[in-house]
Amino acid sequence: MGEFLNYTVNGALIGLTYALVAMGFVVIYRASKVFNLAQGELVVLGGFIVWLMMIQLDLPLIIGLPIAFLCAGIFGFLIDRIFFSRMAGQSVFAMVMVTIGLMILLRGVVLVAFGAQVRQFPAVFPVFPVIWGDFLIPQAMLYGGVITVCVALGLAWFFNRTRAGLRMTAVAEDHQVAMSLGISVRRSVIIAWIMGSMLATLGAIIFLSNRSISFITSEIGLLALPVALLAGLESIAGLILAGILIGIVQGLAAGYLDPALGASVSSVLPFVIMLMILFIRPTGMFGWKTIERV
Amino acid sequence: MLTLNNVEVMYSDVILAVKGITLTVNKGQCVTLVGGNGAGKSTTLKAISNVIGPEDGRVTSGTILFGDRRIDNREPSQIVAAGIVHVMEGRKVLRHLTVDQNLLVGGHMERSGREVRRRLESMYELIPRLAQLKTRTAGYLSGGEQQLLVIGRAMMANPELIMIDEPSLGLAPLAIEEVFNLLSHLKQNGITLLLVEQNSSAALSIADYGYVMENGRIVLEGTSDELRNNEDVREFYLGLNVEGERKSYREIKHYKRRKRWLG
Ligand SMILES: Nc1ncnc2c1ncn2[C@@H]1O[C@H](COP(=O)(O)OP(=O)(O)OP(=O)(O)O)[C@@H](O)[C@H]1O
Ligand SMILES: [Mg+2]
Repeated sequence: MGEFLNYTVNGALIGLTYALVAMGFVVIYRASKVFNLAQGELVVLGGFIVWLMMIQLDLPLIIGLPIAFLCAGIFGFLIDRIFFSRMAGQSVFAMVMVTIGLMILLRGVVLVAFGAQVRQFPAVFPVFPVIWGDFLIPQAMLYGGVITVCVALGLAWFFNRTRAGLRMTAVAEDHQVAMSLGISVRRSVIIAWIMGSMLATLGAIIFLSNRSISFITSEIGLLALPVALLAGLESIAGLILAGILIGIVQGLAAGYLDPALGASVSSVLPFVIMLMILFIRPTGMFGWKTIERV
Repeated sequence: MLTLNNVEVMYSDVILAVKGITLTVNKGQCVTLVGGNGAGKSTTLKAISNVIGPEDGRVTSGTILFGDRRIDNREPSQIVAAGIVHVMEGRKVLRHLTVDQNLLVGGHMERSGREVRRRLESMYELIPRLAQLKTRTAGYLSGGEQQLLVIGRAMMANPELIMIDEPSLGLAPLAIEEVFNLLSHLKQNGITLLLVEQNSSAALSIADYGYVMENGRIVLEGTSDELRNNEDVREFYLGLNVEGERKSYREIKHYKRRKRWLG
């Protein structure tokens, strides 16, 4: 029983980090309808900037992290300016092809700038795990879970209650209608890329704290995909539920199925779930179902 | 107040949808633009509000003046800021937002939160139907309610001129009446209206002046009384004719119609 709870709780917490990475993905998708396959590379890039600030330059946390977020924001801005601002009006397919190009390019940039070595990521959160009776939880995961839930609530509030956020939600619904109301679609898309890139950096900090980073870390971007699809691509709150769900399934599979079968079922299971969602309910579980009234 | 001079609009640099139209909307007037399917009415409105970018359209010649400022090919946000709001065809509510949120988005340009709340209050006074629906998701409202909502949302920007595209499309007679009541109310409050309609009789009932569009051109214009009494308008757009039977649109040759209209 203790074992089961341990797998469940740790799975849920890991799932929340997927949800955090998926949030960046969803924020970009909502505004621009760009399905950003390079989200994992943004995580790696953000992670390496943090590494650069804190390990290479040896800056204290309080200075290193704000600079890292600032850099991430600037990267998001530049990516939109360089790759997507001139793509306005192009097909979704063309946009996705550009994100694949971006993925390859960012991977190259990371390899050239930081090399292929595995590097130790700074311990942003305390290292020793929390032990509660039978539970053993890494603190980074615990803080990460709390931060993820707070960020989700904050974003939901932003998109539904603030002027800038409502503008972005209008853009998410329909570019032309948003324009007819005097909303600058361009500006909303730029803000979305900046936010998406910063969220990727936050995801890197939580996911990587006291672990190691290399260009392979971008796989987290792939794990965020099933979470985003399960949530339905538009719903921020849905991401939390979807993340927990996928994390628990993966955690339990890793705990029970993998040893029993002698195979890594847990690493493919999220994608099996993703395919099932795509077959059964392509709009996801909590996302914007197309409301049609005739 | 709004003047179009020989405006041409092209889609994808090949389809000439509006072929040099000239029209004027005076302050406080309600002007209607009627015409059959594909005449170019919506394109004209989209050219004025400049929301044709996403459809790869643009104004290729002519000028659009609002007051004495050129507004052709300006940013849509500048046009809204100047005082023109476009209520697009098809009751485009923000479907996943509530009625309240839809209206707030309409007033997004206003920086003062107090002023926005004041407008919201007065909007609910103006359209009491919406007040009961404040927290409802806009996508689930009835067609008539959605039409009231998009007009209310446009009003939240505090415009001088509202352009409305086919507000009666697909609505039951009672809902049409409600929408047109709202429009005449707006007109009484000094809002200038540019109304595109297929339902010409409803449109002419509140309009002061009208233009008839066909094939990207304006083929006839006049006060609403003149248009109502015009034989061709009665025949093609009001569905009435002297013998009391409805003739097919194609039966009369184009040149003959033009001659009669121009003469
Ligand atoms: N996005 C577009 N791309 C290319 N051509 C278009 C586009 N939208 C409209 N057109 C063409 O422009 C012409 C005018 O269309 P428009 O929608 O302005 O007509 P309308 O008068 O509003 O008709 P309706 O009463 O059916 O709404 C039509 O021939 C149409 O096929
Ligand atoms: Mg139309």
